Amino acid sequence: MNVAAFNSANLNSGQKVAVKYFAVAMILFLAQCLFGLLAGLQFIMPDFLYNILDFNVNRMVHINAMVVWMLYGFIGSVYWLVEEESGTELVGAKLANLNFWILTIAVAIVVVVYLFVQTGPGTKETLWLINEGREYIEAPRWADIGIVVCVLIFFYNVAATFMKGKWSGISGVLVLDLVALAGLYLAGMFYTTNISVDQYWWWWVIHLWVEATWEVLVGCIMAWGLMKTLGARRKIVTTWLYIEVALMFGSGILGLGHHYFWIGTPEYWLSIGGFFSALEPIPLVAMVVHAVYDSGRHNFRNSNHPALAWLIAHAFGNFFGAGVWGFMHTLPQINLYTHGTQWSASHGHLAFFGAYATIIIAMIYIAVQKWRGDVWMSADLPDNGWKWKWSLGLLNLGVVGMTVALLISGYEQSFVERALGGSTWAAYFSAQATPWFMQGMHWRMLFGVMTMIGVVLLLWDLVTIGKGETRPAIDPTIAAATA
Amino acid sequence: MADTPWWASEDVWRKWAIWVTAIMAVVLIFLTFDSVATITAGSKRVPGYDVINKRIYYTYNAERNMQEPVIGGDAPLFGKALSPQEAEDLVTLGKLTVQAKNCMNCHTLLGNGAYYAPDLTKAWLDPAWGAESVREQLMVSFLMDPTANARTYGTGRRMPQLGITEDEARGVVAFLKWMSSIDTNGFPKGFTPIRQEDAS
Amino acid sequence: MIDPVATQHIMAAAIAGALIILFGAVYALLFALSRLQQRPGLMLWAYTAYAILIGAVWVLSTTLNLTGFWQVIAAVMVIGYFVAPRLIWHLCAGTHVSEAHTG
Ligand code: HEM
Ligand code: HEM
Ligand SMILES: [Fe+2]
Repeated sequence: MNVAAFNSANLNSGQKVAVKYFAVAMILFLAQCLFGLLAGLQFIMPDFLYNILDFNVNRMVHINAMVVWMLYGFIGSVYWLVEEESGTELVGAKLANLNFWILTIAVAIVVVVYLFVQTGPGTKETLWLINEGREYIEAPRWADIGIVVCVLIFFYNVAATFMKGKWSGISGVLVLDLVALAGLYLAGMFYTTNISVDQYWWWWVIHLWVEATWEVLVGCIMAWGLMKTLGARRKIVTTWLYIEVALMFGSGILGLGHHYFWIGTPEYWLSIGGFFSALEPIPLVAMVVHAVYDSGRHNFRNSNHPALAWLIAHAFGNFFGAGVWGFMHTLPQINLYTHGTQWSASHGHLAFFGAYATIIIAMIYIAVQKWRGDVWMSADLPDNGWKWKWSLGLLNLGVVGMTVALLISGYEQSFVERALGGSTWAAYFSAQATPWFMQGMHWRMLFGVMTMIGVVLLLWDLVTIGKGETRPAIDPTIAAATA
Repeated sequence: MADTPWWASEDVWRKWAIWVTAIMAVVLIFLTFDSVATITAGSKRVPGYDVINKRIYYTYNAERNMQEPVIGGDAPLFGKALSPQEAEDLVTLGKLTVQAKNCMNCHTLLGNGAYYAPDLTKAWLDPAWGAESVREQLMVSFLMDPTANARTYGTGRRMPQLGITEDEARGVVAFLKWMSSIDTNGFPKGFTPIRQEDAS
Repeated sequence: MIDPVATQHIMAAAIAGALIILFGAVYALLFALSRLQQRPGLMLWAYTAYAILIGAVWVLSTTLNLTGFWQVIAAVMVIGYFVAPRLIWHLCAGTHVSEAHTG
């Protein structure tokens, strides 16, 4: 057994592709935070990079890097588990590799164009070649089409592998969910002048991704991860996956209504959105309770401490970011004040980080462990495992700190701009200039820097953890059976 | 080994998952047909593009407990009445420009976008433009040279130079005027429109 | 029809909304733990958490001036967040009976 270095001989061919996706994901995570810091700084120093790298460019790169790294993380996770779950070899390993490089080169071109071309004339060609100008899905149309093709190849590879091997409850949900996820992207791929219709379909992509299909996708990853790290039983894990699908789609699909209060859509959405949003936290509560129940029943000895810590961060982050922070501003009586303010940014940060960044990081720790040759990653690491512990702490504290800072700014904004000021431009700016708002912006920078340090430590840890380790990993299935 | 009760069994929950998802999806599709019909340009909630030939203002509707848009008499944009087709073309140029210049990564439109700069939903009616009679020209000049025409109200935040041409600027103004006529259920909260020079 | 929250109540309403979800989860957790570890004492705390939840729903519905349909939502929350944790517990127990040992 080679224990000194990363060794791809330890990986199956799906996993060899997966680690490439994971590597790019982590680089983009770093880029995301870098551009977040630039954008955040411009709130405090508005002349910083003015007319060179303006706020809209920095912010676009910030949120696009996030969407792309998370999709890379998901694709990587699926490639990671596909062979073990199907019991057979990936049908198109070469194809998967080629696909990875094409997608990555396309992403690189898109970013270079964002940074150096930035904008174009008001024509359809600009939307095809430079930038589509719609939040989160700014990628130009050529790239949209490229992404769809790459996702179809990925999808073929995964579905065909399950077809050749065996299906399971987890893989069935996974594959159907991927179809929905890819299909929804098409709703964001057309031009319309009518801004109400534009926003109507735009939210299909954004909301039905993050509050429905992505949640179920990470549910599949979580189900598989619990079997791997804790030795949980397949039957139970699968039943809970179905429960999650029922609750999540049952509340999340029509929960879409909480974005249809003010975009011109009919008034019945006020009631539908309010009602289903009130239900949306229930699946998240159920997941937390079941996780605690599970760990209360078993004296789990787990094989990978950093991964388990990040999975726990996921359960809580999802609950707080999506459940608590989401519900807080979701009823239209409040949302009328908070819609489109820093409240949304506060919720957006905690939810995306808590629900998605966490679980992808957990998967990467699982991958690194195997890549090193299934080495020990439980307690008593050399250096006491300070790097993973500190990066876990700094990242979570940093994001929570930013979330609270943005909430304070958001409250000030809705109060001064909307409640007192009459929602005009003058009211907007007078809210932005208040000391409370500006303090929130300063604190956000401070915690943003903390987040950044956490990211750097995380990357350092990922490339070093398990290096030179000679103890083999605990086998969780044996550990669970004897617990 | 005890038996799993039927209501907690894998089979039952698989069926629930499928049925709940299917029903919710069908309801959403049904509602989508209705909603898209109500927000097609030319409907009551989202007026046709030639609304830019008219005066747009707001009155309080006590029954709905919110401000709602009212379409008034003739007030052609840039002094020239447009045919429905010409109006649509102009607004389309504006919308394309809004996307091409990435406005939404600083501003919000209908409250969606970024939070670095003011909401544009009712920018056309904003008191910041002073008087109704001069706003069109002020808006065009501002868009074409935001650095020189910056008003930052003490925040120091200025809009960048986006290379917007005069035609594009006029398109954007048309788009903003049209957007201000959309019935947004009272968003943004308590909006105070520009002083109406001759109340209709 | 909605009657937006009054200016001075924005903060209270938002906090009440957060507390509903938070204490819904606390109640659910304590309920499950109490049954799981056979500690009836915890049940008292579970119901305390639920009482806070009811208080939060009350604050939410008065500050948001909920009437008609919206009061129904408030009622659904009071009942739903009482029942759901119990159902979740039963599901936890029910899905795990096939496990050989009893922890
Ligand atoms: C992991 C799940 C979730 C993620 C990643 C997420 C993320 C986001 C983001 C990024 C936005 C801002 C969108 C924009 O740029 O305009 C947003 C808006 C919103 N979210 Fe979530 N969210 C999640 C779950 C939830 C849940 C469960 C609820 C309700 C209970 C909720 C309620 C809302 C509402 C009401 C808005 C609109 C804010 C506004 O009016 O500006 N979200 N969400
Ligand atoms: C390094 C620290 C970070 C800083 C300084 C930062 C800064 C920012 C800034 C300035 C914006 C623009 C907000 C606006 O329009 O006013 C933003 C938006 C956003 N950021 Fe970050 N960010 C950081 C990390 C993250 C992380 C770790 C995530 C998630 C994993 C994230 C997710 C988002 C999202 C979803 C939005 C859009 C929010 C919305 O539209 O409501 N950011 N961030
Ligand atoms: Fe949503």
